[in-house]
Amino acid sequence: MRRLFLLLLIAGLALAAPVLAQDSQFGIRGLGTPGRGESVRARTTGGAFAAFDPFSPLLDASVADVRRVTAGVTTGTSWRTVAFGTQSASLRVSRFPAFVLAGPISSKFVVMAGFSTYLDKSFGITTRDTIDIRGTPQAVRDEVTSDGGVSDLRIGLAARLHPRFAVGVALHGLTGSTRVTALRHFADSTTYRTSIARDEVAFHGLGGSASALLDLGADLRLAAWVRSDTHLRADIRGRTVSDDDLPFAFGGAVRWRPGTEAAVAAAVTWRSWSGGGLNAHDTFNWSLGTELGSPTSPVRFGVRGGQLAFGPGGKAPTEFGLSAGIGKQFSGGRGRLDFGIERLERKGTGLTERVWSFLLGLTVRP
Amino acid sequence: MKVRLTRLALLLALGACTEQATAPGVCPDFCPGGQIGVVDTIFTDMIERDTAFSGYVEAVGGEVMAVADVPGAVDSRAIFRMNAMPLVVVLHDTTTSPIIVDSARLRIEILHRDTNATSLWIKLYRLPLTIDSTTTFAQVIPPFTDSIVDSVNVNALLSAPLISDTATVRMWGDTIQTDSAGHVLLVGADSSLILYTDLDTAQARFVAADSGRVAYGVRVSADSANTIALGTADNGRGPRLTWFFNFLDSTSTAKDSSLSRGPIFDSFVFNPPTPPIDSNLAVGGVPAARSLLRVKIPALLRDSADVVRATLVMVPVGPVPGAPADSFTILARAVIADLGAKSPLSTNSQFFGTHRVHLNVADTLRMELTDLVRSWALDSTLTPALMLGQAPEAASYTQIRFYSTRAPAFRPTLHITFVRRYAFGAP
Repeated sequence: MRRLFLLLLIAGLALAAPVLAQDSQFGIRGLGTPGRGESVRARTTGGAFAAFDPFSPLLDASVADVRRVTAGVTTGTSWRTVAFGTQSASLRVSRFPAFVLAGPISSKFVVMAGFSTYLDKSFGITTRDTIDIRGTPQAVRDEVTSDGGVSDLRIGLAARLHPRFAVGVALHGLTGSTRVTALRHFADSTTYRTSIARDEVAFHGLGGSASALLDLGADLRLAAWVRSDTHLRADIRGRTVSDDDLPFAFGGAVRWRPGTEAAVAAAVTWRSWSGGGLNAHDTFNWSLGTELGSPTSPVRFGVRGGQLAFGPGGKAPTEFGLSAGIGKQFSGGRGRLDFGIERLERKGTGLTERVWSFLLGLTVRP
Repeated sequence: MKVRLTRLALLLALGACTEQATAPGVCPDFCPGGQIGVVDTIFTDMIERDTAFSGYVEAVGGEVMAVADVPGAVDSRAIFRMNAMPLVVVLHDTTTSPIIVDSARLRIEILHRDTNATSLWIKLYRLPLTIDSTTTFAQVIPPFTDSIVDSVNVNALLSAPLISDTATVRMWGDTIQTDSAGHVLLVGADSSLILYTDLDTAQARFVAADSGRVAYGVRVSADSANTIALGTADNGRGPRLTWFFNFLDSTSTAKDSSLSRGPIFDSFVFNPPTPPIDSNLAVGGVPAARSLLRVKIPALLRDSADVVRATLVMVPVGPVPGAPADSFTILARAVIADLGAKSPLSTNSQFFGTHRVHLNVADTLRMELTDLVRSWALDSTLTPALMLGQAPEAASYTQIRFYSTRAPAFRPTLHITFVRRYAFGAP
């Protein structure tokens, strides 16, 4: 029965895998919505544990302690309400934002590979207008949709150089595509045909990251990371249509274990997104979280806040979120399921978003 | 077990998640940077070459026989010759009995008429058996002058009371209207009029030497708006002549019988005749004329735009003279291969364009060809050419002439509304 359950779980994740969707309307006018790079475990602690979680594709050094080949996947479904003044809409999307595979190649070194969502570029909008054609007003309805995003393919190496010190480096290949469609429907459909334009936009970029973990004692661990991405080039049928700067980013985190069944962590990050074109802003984000209970079935809570990279106006939109979750080990610790729920509120000029997300993660050590 | 089932349900629900990712756009702040821009342009040189051809369908192949008398404009008359009759009845293998004709009944269908016409007279004339597809209007003037056989006032018949008794309906199949001369009128389901006229042996002369062939002509007169169209054998609604006769059977007893014959030839002649093709574009008339327009699709429409509306604009040289109530349809069809006059035409009605031309007015033709122009813009293997013809052809004396590309001020143009290619990829 347990094997059946695992098979079904993997099937469920596979079904969810093809669907990627825009996390926020704020990213439509920008490069997209940056991915979080967090496992369900890290996400349910507000992101505070991401730097210490080997299956959160954030900090390369964190995989240094993986002693057996292990894989972790994350998926989730979000229900989002967007409110533009008096207008509102409810949206529902599923995501498959992270996968990490890691394993030791020697007593000191661990290699890792995986992917995560770097920029989510899925969205759909409809607008209505009346235009004048041939001297006659014509009601029109436009639909612009984009489906896809940019993935961060990571391959890296981590090493525990000292019992209290680990480092990691990774190379990031940014690649992906979006299927884009622009439709114009005319109310007088017998006279005017619907205009349909379709294309596929391919994205390419490169990046590198480095990180370190330092234990100041048995209970206190510090983490620091830095990452630099180059440019994101967008090509349509071999022709470059845009080339945007990607951010330099760094962050730090601290984790304290006051006991065997309690851990608290806090993290901060800064990213220089403002070079990413119109409506782009540098962002600062913070998070605070805790993991309580037995390591085989912990309970987690977290809070996060900060800024979004894209939004209209001179000031970056803000985000605040609360999260909670549980984990459950099975098969003698060879696998772990993590469940989580997250509530986010984002506010910016002219728009407020509220999001409920259900998260599901699976870690398997064959 | 209960917990496991809960997990299973949870996983299935997750896998079955569907997306709803489309929201109202609040532009420009929460919309992509691209714009769906509409451009409306008259392409004066897209129709780069054009040619008119004549001789496609003669009046004898037309679906109707146009009959009209519009002083100063046109005089059009129907002419038809009925098929031969057997002269004897075969009683046994080699025993025959000659027939003795005593009367006949002619049936004609009036497919179109001007319902505003008053005192519409249909006049039947006996014509020589020599009429054929080469017969001209001038050649039939004498018999149309001195050989009248019958005449009927259609308006008077229409105003007569309906006879709907059981015996009448059983005999005629419907209610009828009749006059004192014995003419019978039925109104068809499509509002056509079916007219029966009884002819005696003087009106319908059964000449054994001619194998019973007879020929008639029809013309109209009215106080106003005198134009009708009669059905032909080509559309299965041509004139029919029923001969009533008797013969002696094997016991030398007189027997009554009848036999119906259809036309072996039906056509119409008119004056003035259709003028020959000139430098302008011609559509319609008899023999039918068509005009071939060759289009050059600009690179802009192939690569960077999506056509949402395309209208062919053509300026007529002048009004088409004729009965005010008459009109005809111009049909545009895609050319599969440009072989000039013999270009094969597409039968895909999705790409047809139609326009109704009313007589005596010189309105500019505006024909919607959106689907056709879109197909040319999307598929460069298609032949960008179209043929304009009358629908149906050779069913009317009317022919319209348009200015061609040789008249720069009035040349055919395409009025196209298109959407510029959306700028994908840029934020």
